[in-house]
Amino acid sequence: MEKINKSFGANNVLQDVDFKLSTGEICALLGENGAGKSTLMNILGGVLPADSGSISLDGQVQSFASPVDSLDAGIGFIHQELNLINDLTIYENMFLTHLPKKRVFLDAKRMQEKTRELFQRMNIDLDPCAMVRTLDASYKQIVEICRALMQDASIIIMDEPTTSLTEPEIQRVFAMMRTLKEQGVGIIFISHKLGEVMEICDRFTVLRDGRMVAEGKVAETTTKQLAAYMVGHEVLSDTNAEKCDYGEEMLRLENLSDGVHFHDISLSVRQGEVLGVTGLLGDGRSELFQTVFGAMNGGKYTGRICLAGKEVHMHNTHQALDSGLAYLPRNRKENAILKDMSILDNGSIVYLPRMKKRGFIDQAMQERLFAKQVDDLRIKMGDRKDLITSLSGGNQQKVVLAKWLISDPKVLILDNPTQGVDVGAKEEIYTIIRRLAAQGVAIVVLSSEAQEIMRVCDRSLVMFHGRQVGEVSGEDMNEHNIMYLATGGNQKESERV
Amino acid sequence: MEKRRLEDNQSGAISWFKENWSNNALFSTVFALVVMVLIQCVVMWVNAGSFGGMFGKMGMAWLNILRNNAYQGVIALGMCFIIISGGIDLSVGSMLCALGAILMYLLAPSNGLLASLGITGPLAYVLAILLTILAGYLFGQLNGALIAYGKLPPFIATLGTMKVFRSVTQQLTKQFNPEIPAGFKLIASAKVGGQVVLPILYWVIIVIIMHIVFTRTAFGRQTIAIGSNERAAKLSGINVNSVKRRIYALGGVMCAIAAVIYIARIGSMDFANAGNGYEMDAIAAVIVGGTAMSGGRGSLIGAFLGMLIIGVMNNILNTVGVPTFLCDAVKGLIIIFAVLLQKKESA
Repeated sequence: MEKINKSFGANNVLQDVDFKLSTGEICALLGENGAGKSTLMNILGGVLPADSGSISLDGQVQSFASPVDSLDAGIGFIHQELNLINDLTIYENMFLTHLPKKRVFLDAKRMQEKTRELFQRMNIDLDPCAMVRTLDASYKQIVEICRALMQDASIIIMDEPTTSLTEPEIQRVFAMMRTLKEQGVGIIFISHKLGEVMEICDRFTVLRDGRMVAEGKVAETTTKQLAAYMVGHEVLSDTNAEKCDYGEEMLRLENLSDGVHFHDISLSVRQGEVLGVTGLLGDGRSELFQTVFGAMNGGKYTGRICLAGKEVHMHNTHQALDSGLAYLPRNRKENAILKDMSILDNGSIVYLPRMKKRGFIDQAMQERLFAKQVDDLRIKMGDRKDLITSLSGGNQQKVVLAKWLISDPKVLILDNPTQGVDVGAKEEIYTIIRRLAAQGVAIVVLSSEAQEIMRVCDRSLVMFHGRQVGEVSGEDMNEHNIMYLATGGNQKESERV
Repeated sequence: MEKRRLEDNQSGAISWFKENWSNNALFSTVFALVVMVLIQCVVMWVNAGSFGGMFGKMGMAWLNILRNNAYQGVIALGMCFIIISGGIDLSVGSMLCALGAILMYLLAPSNGLLASLGITGPLAYVLAILLTILAGYLFGQLNGALIAYGKLPPFIATLGTMKVFRSVTQQLTKQFNPEIPAGFKLIASAKVGGQVVLPILYWVIIVIIMHIVFTRTAFGRQTIAIGSNERAAKLSGINVNSVKRRIYALGGVMCAIAAVIYIARIGSMDFANAGNGYEMDAIAAVIVGGTAMSGGRGSLIGAFLGMLIIGVMNNILNTVGVPTFLCDAVKGLIIIFAVLLQKKESA
């Protein structure tokens, strides 16, 4: 791929990116969220057209108008969400796009034979007649790779294939990748986990802000070096100067585990403190705090949650609300917006049951409490009775924040508070967070953006694969350190789960 | 110049219409009702043979529409809450039947439970009504619990209880054919100005109460929240399971009230057939009234108007002399048409 350019509106996602891959090579494609990795691969996979630039395969210039073109040219794209049909057998899934027929009936025998043949060639011990549902995530991954091979793929793109896998499963996929390599297939491996890159890849290419910033041989680099490439050298020193005295400890977690998403987490937040919790996609931080908020696992966890010094076993969200917790979820549209309700109702839904006068909603009180938040948070809107969906992303987010602030929480958990919010509103939200802290609220900010953590937090925990792997504060709280920890850089090989 | 002004006026009226049509959910329902009533006027005019004769016919027709649809109308209000919360209740018809049986068992003057305890007269009526409402509440709670805690899809849970309520009622009432005290019948059958109007009064009062509950209580808002985005509702600290149970319990209470009006009006109940198809009538009224089947959007007044639209339509079909078997086909088409309109609006 040469000089690939792509922009969405005024946003240049890719600028003159070159990328090459030889046969029998595994190349890592690295970069932070939003660096342009997915866009680049979507162009190669025919999902998106490039604005300019060219793609050549074996020296021949190609143009892909659709994923089918790309597949016909021998490029198999294994997406993060697997595209297998659970209720069909493996061999049926393998031939889903071109089911072979004998007269009108499916030629099951031929499908099974060809699948078995391929599995033998790849040293895979799977029964082609098994249902896909019965396979674990790694085997599903393998079946999908085989499906691409069945269509004579010579290049396989794997988009973060290991995020949902356990260590033995990862090793199984790696073994498969090595076999492919020996047979001359080129693999593009997208991953956030630098340890894995060191283990399996031959070369690496790093993207940052839509540009290729580094490439080279994996054998000649270190995880520290790669992390530095990903965040860039210029480290922003935009930390908070304003430190205030912290008050009482409001939230303490002791050895909290749910056995799946997070393990052995201990932390503590005091009044007036902003604690960051960061890491990369799939680090378990959302699951951790959804459990603390009673929205996940239904109270099935081990360890202790203490609020203002008292232990609470959190079963559900209304219990969390009653004990003074507030949780602003990530993915506003799915988790926070009541699209059929007005701005006012969205902003007061949390506290509605308490705004009562003789069983009915005290509308004067509702309007008064909401109006105060509109002023404080500077929410820009038309009529309070308009639908919430009439607002911009930033203002929607402020309304969601308002519904929690009306309940006057002691501990405020903000999960990706600036997701889908423009730059101006982002800055406003940061200011609001600092102001709330100054008013004595204990705040936890979950974010995968290191700059955001540095901007609003006093100190930050870093999580990797469901475990806390480090804590940074003050001088140490910089992008290098965060990225180094978040990619499992300080973990010994054996501890990488 | 003059012509242009005329055109401006015209487009002003059209845009006013369009704006209301897409922004005000009730507007299209009211509009449909007005159109139906105009058609009804024409039909009655032709039927009566004179313009003056139309009014008398219309009066009688409306009296019948209102009092004959009061039971389904009350049930439709509970159904409306349930559909707005994103659910459905197929058991309402069977529940009406089961609650009717309970009411009759409590009331029967010779062998009823209350009579055997020596309670008769108005006190017995009040007790019987309260106990029937309690039973309806518990039946609804059962539906709600299956859906909230059993995590059953509402369609399946209430399909199951629909069968259970009906068959158990039929089995238990095999040798049971009680009469109803004459005094109790007065509750719905007493004539005011020579006409039976009390069921209409009850219906309208309950519509108003339910509308206030829906618009002015936290429970009403939480119902919309759950139908709009259940996950967001849960993450807003709403006790979704408890609200769901209460929504279905409210549906059960509406069935109990409908059963009371039914028994007091008709004086008996055929346990094999009473309430058959009421669930579909109620769902139809709610949908025609502009409530989204997917939940989140809707109105109790709409459900009331929806019931009237269906009633007026039946009345027109009868008057024109459409064969009884074809009436249902027309009803079906109207429902399909109403939902098609909704789809257009949301797109």
